[in-house]
Order: sequence, then structure tokens, then C-alpha cells
Amino acid sequence: MAVTAQAEGLVRAAEARRATAGLWSDALWRLRHDPTTIAASAVLCALVLLALGADLLASSFFHWSFSQQDILNSYGKPDGNDPAMWLGSDQLGRSQIVRLLYGGRISLFIGVFGAIVSLSIGIGIGVSAGYFRGRWDDIVVWLVTTLNSIPTLFLLLIVGFLFRLDPVSLAILIGCLGWTGITNFARGQTFALREREFILAARTVGASPARIMVRHILPNILPLMIVLAAIDIGGIILAESALSYLGFGIQPPVPSWGNMLTAASQFFTKGPWLVYPPGVMIAITVLCLYLIGDGLRDALDPRLRGAT
Amino acid sequence: MGRFVIRRLIQAVPTLLGILVITFALTRLSPADPVSLIVGDTFGITKADRDRLAEAYGLNDPIPVQFVKYLGKVAVLDFGNSFYYHRPVIGLIVERIPNSLQLSIAALVVGLLVGVPLGIISALVRGRLPDHAIRLMTVVGHAVPTFWFGLLFVLLLGVQLRWFPIGSMNAIGKEDDLGDRLWHMVGPVLTLSLGAISNYPRILRTEVLEVLGQDYVRTARSKGLREQVVVTVHVLRNALIPVVTSLGGILTILIGGSVIIEQIYNWPGLGRLLFEGLINKDFPLIQASVIIGSSLLVLSYILRDILYAIVDPRITTR
Repeated sequence: MAVTAQAEGLVRAAEARRATAGLWSDALWRLRHDPTTIAASAVLCALVLLALGADLLASSFFHWSFSQQDILNSYGKPDGNDPAMWLGSDQLGRSQIVRLLYGGRISLFIGVFGAIVSLSIGIGIGVSAGYFRGRWDDIVVWLVTTLNSIPTLFLLLIVGFLFRLDPVSLAILIGCLGWTGITNFARGQTFALREREFILAARTVGASPARIMVRHILPNILPLMIVLAAIDIGGIILAESALSYLGFGIQPPVPSWGNMLTAASQFFTKGPWLVYPPGVMIAITVLCLYLIGDGLRDALDPRLRGAT
Repeated sequence: MGRFVIRRLIQAVPTLLGILVITFALTRLSPADPVSLIVGDTFGITKADRDRLAEAYGLNDPIPVQFVKYLGKVAVLDFGNSFYYHRPVIGLIVERIPNSLQLSIAALVVGLLVGVPLGIISALVRGRLPDHAIRLMTVVGHAVPTFWFGLLFVLLLGVQLRWFPIGSMNAIGKEDDLGDRLWHMVGPVLTLSLGAISNYPRILRTEVLEVLGQDYVRTARSKGLREQVVVTVHVLRNALIPVVTSLGGILTILIGGSVIIEQIYNWPGLGRLLFEGLINKDFPLIQASVIIGSSLLVLSYILRDILYAIVDPRITTR
């Protein structure tokens, strides 16, 4: 949702300027004729709306807050008559469906915010390394190789152990550790672009390196970066859920899809129905993001097919 | 080739150094007091005891001095004593590594044996039903959280249906029984290889389609070779190179995923050791597991590159 909104915003901006007419409107046209991407976007929009409206839905429709307990009715079986019990209740008698809504809010927030952080760092470092090369590029390559050599979950776990994390700092942290893939792409693209004639022309008329990178290189790599952003959000949601499942991410009582599964797996014999919904929600969300990523890639630049 | 291997080994030194810098920096940037990390949750420690410990562990030295001392210890594989097990950490880790390797290697083999043929089939029958089915499966396989897949496997096939063991490496009393071990490996290996099984078909499909469009394939066909020969001799040989290049990503999944898989299946490997260390606040163990886990990854990257150089000799001359 965030990704498509971003893309649409860019399309509008491009149309207003008429400077780079073609690419974005062309992409939008192709997207309109891609039923898979449209369906995935629709599902994702619905998920985002549900997550945003969690407070409203909990108070006016389910009449149950996410932390409200009813210990006498723990492990309530799913019950179609009471909306709050549609998916049953957990070990403390809390409404599973309401917690699922709030968990979605956390997961989507961390995914989007973390992706913004990693995209900003990744593009900044990647483009500058590709443009300046030399010593700076060596340092960047060393940093990327090093970070890639520490298994992501190991790194996240040790950090989650050493620092107490609220959702915002967790998102920033995952973003700060997950920019290497984006950097590699941005750096590679910049390498190729900086040898092109239009960059030489810009340099000849005296454009500063900063201006060349922002005005001439960035617009050219943006399509690929938007595609990577969609895939990145999905990857971050998966990482967050794994970390929270292990107990070093989002801490209860704040619900996240990952930590809901921790409890569900411990009490499986009493409430087996609690194991399915969080996992299904993660899978659907990430699946939509990947499909949108694929769709955007094909729409923005058909030549990139298979590049990510 | 020998020079290539040596060069590649030398290149690994700064990476290993970087891993040590990062693990060291994290402990010093953390709001947690290093002394608390050393003594863990021991109660009844007075302020004077803390000061003495800080002095004894050199925590009052300047940071660069501390780092050099730390390097010196790591160089001789001295990671200190685990304060949960009261044993040198390195011994604990060495005991666990073979258990983890069993899973990773088996998962890699399964991933390759399933993933590669699926990708080739997908490309050869592109646009038809099997192709769509395989592509759908790989996209879904990417999106499903591995740990949830593992949970479902344990809960449905283990706890409810009792088809598979719900965890650990062996049934009690069958420690040397290979069949029993393999039986226990089905779940973790399947879960761990999910990443490779959903990655390889995507890579292979793109690559085979690309090679199929090359001139030399058209030449091979036009000189009357059977399709079977064209595919096996001309297409596959060239399309298999990215199988080696993309090993890097797969290895990351295999080693990084070990924490969560070993936790779910109660498999006594390196990942489970790290997780136990985190739960017991056993800091020397945590630090050492991360460093050793990362070094294993560095080592497997080197092996990947050597394999790549064998498959595609052009790489050594670069």
C-alpha cells in the first residue's frame, strides 16, 4: 500500500512537471492491466485499513480492547455469534481477532518504517560509493561484506538482548542492519550510470557531485529502488516476526504476529486454533508485498524482469 | 588456482576483523553495564565487588586497549568461561557445530535436489500449468515464515498425528541408530531447506530461459541435435553457473535460520546454544556463538568462491 501510494505520488509529480513524461504513466498503464498486482494491492490496502482502524473497530465493533482479559473464558473456541470471539480467545481470555488487528499494525509499521530507514541508508551509501569510488568505495564494500557475514538473526538477537527495544527503535535497528542488499544494487547501477554521456555533460557544465547524484543518478535508479522497497518491507516483516517469536523483538503485552505465535505454540494442546491466524496473516501480507514488487518491476521496466 | 585460494583467504581477514569490531562495539554501545554482563544475574554483589571485577576484567582501560586485549584473546580462541555451564565457551561450541552442520548440509542437498529440477522444468514448460504451479509455490514459499512452517510441522505431524518425532536428535536409547537420526532430521531439514526450494526455481527459470535464447542453442538445434542433448549439454551446463553464485544467499539462510529451526525442533546445535545463552544471559557464550557462526559463514563463502572458480575458470584471472 505504502509502495503503491508512493509510486502514484511520483506519477502525479511527474505528470505535473512533464519533465520525465512517459515512464510513470507508462508504468501505471501496465499496472492497470496486471490483475495479480491489482489483487495484491487491494488485499494489502484492506490489511492496512484494518490495522489503521484497529482502535475504532475494537471499541465500536468488537467491544473488546487488545489487553482486556477474561481469565475464566481462556481458550474460548471460535464462536460465530460474538464478533470478539470469531477467532476464539487466548490463554488469558483475550480476543484473538482484536489482538490480530493490533499485531498487524505493529508488523506493518515496523516493515514500512524499517524499509524507509534501510532504503535511505542503502541509497545514500550505495550511490555515493558508486559515484566517488576509491577509498570510500573500499570502506563501503568492506562494511557490506562484514555485515553480510554475520547471520542476520544472530545479529538481531544479540542487539535485542543488549538493548531494550520498543517498536520504533526496533524498526530503526532492523533498517540499520538491513541496507546491504539495497546498497549493492544502488552501487552497481551508479557504476554503470556514471560513465554515461549525460553525466559527463552535467560534469562539464560544472554540476556539483551532490547535484549529479540527486538530480541525474537518483531518478534513474528510483524505479529499481521502489521495487526493492516493496520486497524489503516483506523481508523486514518476516525478520521482525521471527525475532518476536523468539522473545527478543516486540515484548508482550503489546501484540505482534510473531509474539502471538510464541504463546500459541506453548499452549497448542489447549488452543490449537490460535496457531493459524497470525502465521496466515504474515504469509498473506508478505505474499502481497512480493507480488506487488514483482508487478512494479515489470511495470516500471520490463527489461528488469528477473533482476531482483 | 592456488594463488586464487590464497588471495581469497587473505581477503577474509578484514571481514573477520570487522565482525570482531561490530561484536565488540555492540557491547560497549549497549546501555547494559559490562560488569552486569559478566556476572549475569548473580545476586548479592556489592559496589566494591563490581569495582574489583571491572578492574580485573580491564574495563577501566581505554577502549582501544580493551579492543586489542580482546583481539589477543579471540586470536587464541579464548572466549572466556560460560557462567551458566562453568566451562570454556569454545569447548561448548565445538561440541555443537557438527550437529548444526548435519542439518545445514542435508538442507542444502535437499534444496538443490528439489529446487534445481523444479526451476528447469518450469523454464522448459513455460506458460503451461506446471510452470504456473511451480512459480506460485516459490512465491508462497518465500512469504511463509519458516518458523511458522516448522511450528505447523511439529504441531500437526508431530503432536497431533504422531507421524514424526517432535524434536531432539535421537530417540532415547537410540543414540547410534542412523535410521532414527534420519527420521528426526526430516522436519528440521525440510523446514530449513524451504528457503532454497523457493529460491532456486526462480533463479534457474530466468537463467534457463536466457540461455535458451542464445545463438549457440539455436545453432545446436539447427545442426539437428536432439532436444534432449541440446538441453542437457548446451543449456544446463551454462545455466548451472548461477546455482553456485547464488549459494551465498542460501548459505546465509541455512546458518542464520539455524537459531529458529533448532529452537523449534529442540536440536542441540550452535543456534540452539546461542538461544540458550540469550535466555540464561550467558554473555560470553552469546558473543562467542555470534563470532563462530559468522566465521562459519565466511568460511562457506570462501568455499563457494572456490567452487565458482572451478565451475567458471574465468573468475581466477580477474
